[in-house]
Amino acid sequence: MSVDTNQPTTAEATPKALRESVPVWLVILFFVLLYCAMVYFDQHGGWFNERVYSPYTRIEDLEKWQPPKGGDDLYALGKLVYNKPTCVTCHQNDGNGTPGQFPPLAGSDWVSEAEPGRLIRIVLNGLQGSITVNGKSYNGTMVPWKDQLSDKEVAAVLTYVRGNKDWGNKFPPVKPEQVAAVRAKVKDRAPAFTPDELMKLSPSE
Amino acid sequence: MNYGPLIFLAAFFALSSSWFGLVLGPQLQVGRLQQTTTIPDGATYPLARPGLAHQGLDVYRANGCASCHTEQVRQTRTVCDIVLAEAGTNQTKMIAALQSARPGLSEADATRLLASLPKPVLEGVTREVGDHAYNVLGAAGAKVEMWIIPVGPDIARGWGKRRSVAEDFLYDYPVMPGSVRLGPDLANVGVRLADPNWQLIHLYAPRLEVKNSPMPPYRYLFEKRRIERMPSPDALKHPELNVEPGFEIVPKPEAKALVAYLGSLRAGEPIYETPLTVPATPAPGTNAPAAASAAATNTAPTNVPAK
Repeated sequence: MSVDTNQPTTAEATPKALRESVPVWLVILFFVLLYCAMVYFDQHGGWFNERVYSPYTRIEDLEKWQPPKGGDDLYALGKLVYNKPTCVTCHQNDGNGTPGQFPPLAGSDWVSEAEPGRLIRIVLNGLQGSITVNGKSYNGTMVPWKDQLSDKEVAAVLTYVRGNKDWGNKFPPVKPEQVAAVRAKVKDRAPAFTPDELMKLSPSE
Repeated sequence: MNYGPLIFLAAFFALSSSWFGLVLGPQLQVGRLQQTTTIPDGATYPLARPGLAHQGLDVYRANGCASCHTEQVRQTRTVCDIVLAEAGTNQTKMIAALQSARPGLSEADATRLLASLPKPVLEGVTREVGDHAYNVLGAAGAKVEMWIIPVGPDIARGWGKRRSVAEDFLYDYPVMPGSVRLGPDLANVGVRLADPNWQLIHLYAPRLEVKNSPMPPYRYLFEKRRIERMPSPDALKHPELNVEPGFEIVPKPEAKALVAYLGSLRAGEPIYETPLTVPATPAPGTNAPAAASAAATNTAPTNVPAK
């Protein structure tokens, strides 16, 4: 039997786990790195807001860079309402409607009226029956928007339709107060208007 | 000494913290993303890819396109331009407003500027400077436009109008943003290179369309077949494409799907996360798609499909 001379034979020679304190410089380095990481995080993290991406650093920064609203708020709102989709479904993006069914809004003699009384009624209560627009006859049904759209939204969408230069419309805007006045008058009326009925009314009513 | 529980706890802590940070955190942040609307038009964004384009995503994945192409545009900052569209009626007030908007502008220069509208008043300024000019000129009765313009190396190459955000990938599974750019970025390729025939030729023989392109040809997405009675309307047509007489190259469904997918890559709509103004008419001398820098970097193809 041979003895392995490489193996330590005494208990003193066996390696032991000792405790050694961490060098001070390492601790300092660790905190310096931590500090740098936090500064970087502060500048690039967007404060955990998922809407903030670089180069924006926080939501206020992103908010600041939103395009200006422009002077005509009602018109801009009207564009949103029109494309919600509400009107756009039938009257189309270009405001030309569908021949025979949904009349055009672009260059329409109904839209161009100086007083918007009839238009507001159509939007609020809807329209039923054959209507003649620019000499052509249309026979579709328009649903009422009374319950879906507020006074401001109705005014906005009519302002958009009447003032849309892309469609060649340059007619005066509609104010929310005008819509509120008409809404009060047609409050108790449920069925849709017919074109004949509207023609009997004075447009300024 | 038994270190088992300690090792277990340390490993558990390490793995769970990375799970929290890399899986749960992002899931809580963007896991419930939904369609949003563009600013300020209010159109729905993004729209689901059409069926064929959705199949194309699988072809894109299967062919490893993402190993050489990215789909993410970077942006380093945002600037704004102030353009004077129409001057107000009061000339003196306008000149004063212009000088306030752009300090150091002489009266003669302001008059000259007013003579040829529309004209940019300020270019590449911060939002604060831009807001001041916008308000001052607006108060003087002028019609002012403010353009919000994202800036960055990728945008200068014409690869997109704005940075990519998580919203752009809403309908992609898996999301393949890529990390290596041996080829150009494809985030906006459907707008940049809209011609499907160009894309088909480019897939079949990249160097016919882009000189010295390092892209390998994907001929197995096409079929060479004998012309029976009538040539196929889908057959590739290119003056330099040499096909034996009586034969034609026809794209397989995979190639068509891939091209439909490429055509559907149209990230670039302005949304809340990445504000930007898309001018109806190109700005005079601003934000032009950098044709010069596109020519300088040989990976970027030209905007116009070569015919």
